[in-house]
Amino acid sequence: MRFDAVIIGGGYAGCTAAEALLGAGLKVCVVSEGLSLAVSGSKAPYSRLASIQKRGATVLRGDRALSAILEDGRVACVKTRNLGPETMLEADFFILASGKFFSRGLLSDKEHIWEPVFGADVEYGTDRTSWYDDDFSASQPFMGFGVKTDSSARVFVGGKALANLYAAGDIVAKDCKQVNVNKLIEDYAGRDK
Amino acid sequence: MPSKEYDVIIVGGGITGAATARDCALRSLSTLLIERGDICDGASGRNHGLLHSGARYAVTDREGAEECIRENRILRRIASNCVEPTEGLFISLPEDGLDYQANFIKKCQEAGIDAQAMDPAEALRLEPAINPRIIGAVKVPDASVDPFRLVDAHILDAQRHGADIMKFTAVASLVKENGRVVGVKTAAGELIRGREVVLAAGIWTAGLAREAGVNIGMMPSKGALIIFGHRIANMVINRCRKPANADILVPGDVVSVLGTTSDKVPIDTCDDMRATPAEVDLLLREGEQLVPSLAKTRIIRAYAGVRPLVVADPAGDGRNVSRGIVLLDHEERDGVPGLITITGGKLTTARLMAEMATDLVCKKLGSTAVCKTAQLPLPGSEGRKPRFEDPFVERAAIGRHGTEVSRMDFEKGGEILCECEHVTRAEIAYAVENFGVRNISDLRRHTRIGMGTCQGSFCIRSVAAALAEILAPDAAAAAKLADEFVNQYRQERWKGITPVLWGDTLREAEYMQKVNGNEI
Repeated sequence: MRFDAVIIGGGYAGCTAAEALLGAGLKVCVVSEGLSLAVSGSKAPYSRLASIQKRGATVLRGDRALSAILEDGRVACVKTRNLGPETMLEADFFILASGKFFSRGLLSDKEHIWEPVFGADVEYGTDRTSWYDDDFSASQPFMGFGVKTDSSARVFVGGKALANLYAAGDIVAKDCKQVNVNKLIEDYAGRDK
Repeated sequence: MPSKEYDVIIVGGGITGAATARDCALRSLSTLLIERGDICDGASGRNHGLLHSGARYAVTDREGAEECIRENRILRRIASNCVEPTEGLFISLPEDGLDYQANFIKKCQEAGIDAQAMDPAEALRLEPAINPRIIGAVKVPDASVDPFRLVDAHILDAQRHGADIMKFTAVASLVKENGRVVGVKTAAGELIRGREVVLAAGIWTAGLAREAGVNIGMMPSKGALIIFGHRIANMVINRCRKPANADILVPGDVVSVLGTTSDKVPIDTCDDMRATPAEVDLLLREGEQLVPSLAKTRIIRAYAGVRPLVVADPAGDGRNVSRGIVLLDHEERDGVPGLITITGGKLTTARLMAEMATDLVCKKLGSTAVCKTAQLPLPGSEGRKPRFEDPFVERAAIGRHGTEVSRMDFEKGGEILCECEHVTRAEIAYAVENFGVRNISDLRRHTRIGMGTCQGSFCIRSVAAALAEILAPDAAAAAKLADEFVNQYRQERWKGITPVLWGDTLREAEYMQKVNGNEI
């Protein structure tokens, strides 16, 4: 399946990006597992996804991106749980908007925090005691952990920014760039001509 | 105006103090129990919840083992609502060998503990979660006991037999006249007179005694534990080897508790006990040998308590330390009449400790009253449990409070506030009335509110509002108090969450941060 853009995550960040891209006439696919924390009320994200779908996007509900194939510093395709290992979601660019821990955009064990789909570089403290503040109401370090992006919000994997993978929303590390979808649309339009 | 003089003042509202107050009250002594915080706030509320069969001590401490099995049988009878007769298994792994097991069974039987060797295959059939590499298993009469419920029952019975319970009142010093301890002075400056003063304040005993010129060499021994969000095994699972770190897993209600560690800590850390990430890592590494699936089980939180161990020789290096019962007659030992210390021991043997302390109090006061605590059932465990129609609400309350539910008004307060534990408004009202609950942490200890699967994530605001409504004089004060309760609750729970902050616990923490409106 081929799209202009594939968005991983159907929460606030994913929906916002999808709406902008649809507005510019792009062919969009949203993979939404439905574990969003950012939108209050459980029904809100579903109705927003419904309108995105009505506007022509492919919305893979209750599905989860499992892995990606990387080629020449680019994302070639993404595979999902429900589509299975044979089906490839291909796109010119991908937006990672899968959220933090609650939505399983980031996974963790006693020593590590990682991004499971692309193996993106994650910014976090190496010692677990630096992940939290003893004061519950203080700013919690783990709330600032996330994937590293460059000045164009492209995601780093193995120390190098992938050319066509951008990040948006909670999964982006504090102080790192969030994707500018309008800029993406401009670049995309420019490249078509 | 001279204040009232009690026959006996007991300092400390843990299981030892509560059991002593009960025993004294049952022997018709005018009794005061004084506690600086809420009851069950120290080591009594920070342990495994294990009713020892004595098997763990059989090899090294015959006397301790015999005490345990005797008290184990008594508590099953008098505190049936607090004890779940799960039984226990001692399992041997290949690296433990079977020599220890053979001696263990022999020593258990010598101490009167019914220890039966079991075929490993049969043990695995009973408890599929235990390490499949086991080469041996022994069944013993260990059980699970709810320490909060047990202390509450003692407090209720003491009160109902005339004892006064004074909570949130710190003892600033012991008052001496002509070399004799004649009472206590509270932090607020009030003098309360007692013919005998019994120190039952766990690790805090040494500091109080020092004030009166009495030196008790105590060594705080920290024990860290982890609570898992599932009941992984139905029996108490022990390792059949010399006691070591993380070798006991105890089922309790719907959770499992793994512990413990044993480390000497400075006395000034005892007021703020918390498990550390390093202790959690150690507990998990060892615990996975016992039950491998612990590695993948959701952890609710970690916590730590302090054992009040007594050093036989205060000048010693700490090796000569007693985990047994220590009863000190300071008139004989230090020439300070009017003062008695009861410490050491275990949750399992608290009733016996209380009996020993009360025997001494009676001797001093010239009373010949005999101990009845081994025969009389505790409140909540008196006879058959009542039956209610509602399959969830009242059944949960009966589970917690047994026959005490007859004092709760479900007609008026049947609304469930804590969904995980099915705690109703009626139960909150009961706790406030019977235990002088002042804040949400107290309420938790007496009702299990917020101790379930969601750890208060969903219910805490409505629970806080309900409690504040009872305690505050008007609506504006109630709203303010409810906010304080929520913050207090979150802060207190956070202490136990941070040492296990990864995986699903980290997921929940992000959720809690968002729900609470904390910004990054």
